Amino acid sequence: MAQSSKGKLNYRCPMCFFRDLDIDMFYDKDKQEYYCLRCQYTGDEKDVLAKNELIRMKYGKMMERITDFD
Amino acid sequence: MNNTFAVNIIHRPEMVPEYAEKVTGQGKAEDIGRKALLTESLDIFKFQQATAHKNGLKTTIQMTYASLFNEEAIQLAKDDHEKYGDEIALSLLGLPCKEFREKYNTKDFCIWMFSMEDKMQIVDDVFGKFHEIFGFYPESTGSYYMDAELTNYIKEKYPSVKCAVATCWEEGPKAYHTCNNSWYTLFDGGPWNPWIPSKQNTHAPAANEAEDSGIVAIPHLSRDLLACYDGNGSNFGTHPQNVLRGMIYDSKTWEFPYFYNLVDQYRHLEKFNNGYSYNMMFVGPGWLNKMGRWEAPYELLKKSYEEGMAYYGDLKKEGKLVDMTMAEFADFYRANKEYTEPECALWKDILYGSDKQLFWYADPYMRAQINMDQGGALVDLRPYAAKLKWEVGIGTKHVQDASYPFLIQEKYRAGYFTHYAGEGTVRSAKISYNGEEVDLCLCRTHAKFKQDGKARKLILDPVEIEFDDLTVKLQTIITFEEGASNIKFERNILEMSNPNAEVTINEYMVACYGTTEYPEDMTGITLTVAGDGKSESIDYAYKCREAEICGGNAASAVIPAIETAVSMTTDMTDAKAYIREGYAFSPMFTLGIEKKVKDKEVVTTWLNLAKAN
Ligand SMILES: [Zn+2]
Repeated sequence: MAQSSKGKLNYRCPMCFFRDLDIDMFYDKDKQEYYCLRCQYTGDEKDVLAKNELIRMKYGKMMERITDFD
Repeated sequence: MNNTFAVNIIHRPEMVPEYAEKVTGQGKAEDIGRKALLTESLDIFKFQQATAHKNGLKTTIQMTYASLFNEEAIQLAKDDHEKYGDEIALSLLGLPCKEFREKYNTKDFCIWMFSMEDKMQIVDDVFGKFHEIFGFYPESTGSYYMDAELTNYIKEKYPSVKCAVATCWEEGPKAYHTCNNSWYTLFDGGPWNPWIPSKQNTHAPAANEAEDSGIVAIPHLSRDLLACYDGNGSNFGTHPQNVLRGMIYDSKTWEFPYFYNLVDQYRHLEKFNNGYSYNMMFVGPGWLNKMGRWEAPYELLKKSYEEGMAYYGDLKKEGKLVDMTMAEFADFYRANKEYTEPECALWKDILYGSDKQLFWYADPYMRAQINMDQGGALVDLRPYAAKLKWEVGIGTKHVQDASYPFLIQEKYRAGYFTHYAGEGTVRSAKISYNGEEVDLCLCRTHAKFKQDGKARKLILDPVEIEFDDLTVKLQTIITFEEGASNIKFERNILEMSNPNAEVTINEYMVACYGTTEYPEDMTGITLTVAGDGKSESIDYAYKCREAEICGGNAASAVIPAIETAVSMTTDMTDAKAYIREGYAFSPMFTLGIEKKVKDKEVVTTWLNLAKAN
């Protein structure tokens, strides 16, 4: 078992991001997965990216250009 | 200063960007003198400067200590000062470099955390080196936080300094948590827009010339006044890469309208501040890492920086923005603001899609947040009137914690909702009738802002309170009188379905004190209720005691730990004033004034703040 390393874009744990925690994940070459040191999340790049899309559901107006601030 | 949207754009040539060594250097032994790191850092600085200039914007170049040892960085600053009028200033960020580590034998890098002795030595060192190179002392400086003692020393020794980046708004326990409890920037409770700090406490604005620290403080970034209050500050600011860190962009199109909404809502604040509004953008080089950052490749980091800057550039071209260096801004600010003039912000949610609206108010006596989604409840209160001396750094009682203490903080102390026992901090009112009781915290509404001379008024849309057989239409008006150190709450009964009914309005404030989520010892607090020639006190001992005076007009608390006196008063002669001690599971106190009212009547109370020695 070789040691893990940071992935290419320092992916953060999506499950921890949901609870307002920024935690870079590490990459396990043998299992070909990212994993979180703090919580139990593991996933490949595709899964991380899919979960990152889910995160955005908390931003209901993320893509709206707002012009009225009253 | 009518219709002036003032913008400060700041860059720093940081030779060892805060994140770069940890993030890009993973898997390598620490070496802050790495050649590749230095080259990359300067490249980022050059890119940032070029992007501002391309958009017709001038910048403030905050030289770091490390960059004063780098000839190329020095030359770049001189050239851009000549060509574009950029200000050459001096940052107290970016201390780490080989020279600093060898001299001070420490890895500390946050100026406010050093001992006072070290602060003075470092300041002299950095300012001396700056003078040696440029032949003058800087007019601007800054860090993520500048404690009052540090600022006072700098101003005394280097009087040319007139502007400083002095806090990151609401960067406290929330940011600490987000960073896996490893990022020690604990300084909640300050103003969100520029202010003149007092000599006693940086967060608290000066009330007069005697208190004036001599500098104009600007915040590090302009932050979302709703999102940052309950989330990571570093996701929601006028910092394009913050927005990427928050994942607030479309991952396919790389669009991020939220950033522009944020800038525009800040511009909108001119409506509440005599035509003046402000923005600050200060992106450290670590955020434009060639390796990418926060899932975002370099191309996206770059794009966001270019587009963010282009937006400011476009606003300038349209005559809607005035770019200033920090020193120019300090002059502008002093020419146009009076000490007691408050900073006001009626702010709405522009990100989550809720209909929530908040009002923030800051002056030399307090910082307050009113939440319209909770019927106009006061949900955050910092008693600046105490001008609390709160030294920070090694050798003081607060090595890291630089927050200004709160009396009310709804996120750290529950607010209206608690888990089945005890109470949370909030200042609201309860209306009762025939054994039924409704708290205004559950009456969601909105407000309009009105300025009447020296009074700033929040006029809330009326709410309807439905009892079993009575409906009451009530309107709240909250007034902040300039220089008065108080908040006036008026509850107007506009209509009752039974004009002969009588309801009881209980104006209350549940409070405590603290800077974090954890309780402090309430021993030492004295509660007093007074009026009608009588007075009764309770020395806090967690005994759940109460006292009241019919015909009373004042309920107060003195909190020695934060040298603060807070009271609730009324000019009504037939009210009941009361005080309530808390208990161990509810380490709070309550001040209240209760009054029976009929249709068309008004209940008026004041919340007053003062220093208690
Ligand atoms: Zn996790």
